[in-house]
Amino acid sequence: MKRLSFFIVLTAALFVCRSGVFASGPGSGITLQADKTSLSNGGTITITGTAPAGKPVYIEVWSEKQVRASRFDSDVDKDTGKRPYILYMTHEIPAYYKLFVPKDRKENLDKIKKEGQKWSFSKALKDMGAAQVYSAPAKAKVDRYQATLMGSIIGSRGDLLPQLDEKENAKRSMQLVKVRFRSPDKVIGAEVEVNPDGTYKAVLNIRKGLAPGKYNIVAAIDKNTRSQPAAFENNITFPNVYLGNAGTSLNLFGPFFLSLFISIFGVLMGAGGGFIMNPLLVSFWPLPHTVVAGTVMPTVLFSQGSGIYNYSRIKFISWKLGVAIGLAMVAGGFIGPKLTELITLDQFKFVFGWILLVLAGLMFWQTTPGYLAKNSKEQAILKEFKKRAEECAKTKEAACALPKNR
Amino acid sequence: MTVEFWGHEFKVNIVMGCIGGFLIAVVASMFGFGGGPFMVPLMTVGLGLPMYLVVGSSLLAIFFNTMMGTMRHYQFGNFDLLFFLIMFPAAILGGFIAPQIAKRVSPLVVKRVAIAGLVILALNLLGVY
Repeated sequence: MKRLSFFIVLTAALFVCRSGVFASGPGSGITLQADKTSLSNGGTITITGTAPAGKPVYIEVWSEKQVRASRFDSDVDKDTGKRPYILYMTHEIPAYYKLFVPKDRKENLDKIKKEGQKWSFSKALKDMGAAQVYSAPAKAKVDRYQATLMGSIIGSRGDLLPQLDEKENAKRSMQLVKVRFRSPDKVIGAEVEVNPDGTYKAVLNIRKGLAPGKYNIVAAIDKNTRSQPAAFENNITFPNVYLGNAGTSLNLFGPFFLSLFISIFGVLMGAGGGFIMNPLLVSFWPLPHTVVAGTVMPTVLFSQGSGIYNYSRIKFISWKLGVAIGLAMVAGGFIGPKLTELITLDQFKFVFGWILLVLAGLMFWQTTPGYLAKNSKEQAILKEFKKRAEECAKTKEAACALPKNR
Repeated sequence: MTVEFWGHEFKVNIVMGCIGGFLIAVVASMFGFGGGPFMVPLMTVGLGLPMYLVVGSSLLAIFFNTMMGTMRHYQFGNFDLLFFLIMFPAAILGGFIAPQIAKRVSPLVVKRVAIAGLVILALNLLGVY
């Protein structure tokens, strides 16, 4: 008899453990199963499970890899009427995050998409009834800096303000999610089919170009009723590579050939490639503009350095003039990169658009007949002087001078 | 400020040069490009200097900005090493290929194509289409 009761207890214990494996939350009765444990640069994954009947089921998917996101808040505060000028920044936003909502919320989602760039993630969550289940990015620690005009001039981020409380942190993390993923359909999908008996099914389409590594999947109906997480591994293989700082995977030949083509074209048109490279990079791939600006800039260092070396070899540089203006440019170069993170991608594109129009205007002026006539004279002098300078460098004559008639 | 270059003396309005250079540097480092196409007109048209003085000296001035901008971007965590390693060899390779092509194409044609391309790209960025 004792043995029998032991057997019953053991069976019961095993049963409890088994159902644990099937990812049911503690006492919630919500289960979740995924049909795959690995994907190769995205793909589809089917989720099935059961939840209490009559409740909407939400599925959160996020990557363990994290990226940085920042947002400069300069909107007028509705209560005080003042502009806060606070920089919100986190390094812990999941490189991928998407909340899948029941299919019947599709209309809400379409409405949000129609709002264009002004859409708000926190309002979207509320409209979908999903504010309660939003959890993974809410845990990202958001730092905030009080920016000041003086601080911006000397290129500091400003003073670090006290840590946000949990609720405020979650609210700010929503804004950062929007900054990071930009459009509603990147973070919300109406894919969960909930049946009246409480079973549900969702076919999740995980897009290409995401971070590699472990992804978690959790189904939830409210804040406290969540399933055990399931996980899958996203594999990124050559020639796709993951850019950790940008949080994006891409085929490395894309930027390689773009860079090659633009640098050739840049030399031919007499303008550095950065002008065309940066806007194209942010348009073609989901790369943050900060990373694009910060990574393209050093690529020209080498060509500039070798140019300076070649000119200096034939003493064709006025060090006095170059250094004098260069010092003013050092000050500018100190401030500029700070400003990059204060603007949004849309502002980046907007200002870049105007810069390119000005550049196009400059170049158009350089093709007008008057300029061409003057320029050909200048170029002829330049060529002749350079030739003489080269000869001087060869003969190492100290007292070389250029002709007075210019 | 007077600048001596190969036996010629030039009077340079250094205040204007520095203010212009500063503004170009802020924008250039903010958006991550060199700034040569803006520096050369500033120095030739704005400061009235001859092209043969400007070509080398403007490059030197820009180099200062690129160095500083690179350091600051790195400091703010905007630099992605792998991304750099993809683009850098391509930029170097382009620098070797370009002169070969340059002999065969008219610079005026290239400029006109570039203008059209820039306007199209600019209108796209401004959301016109």
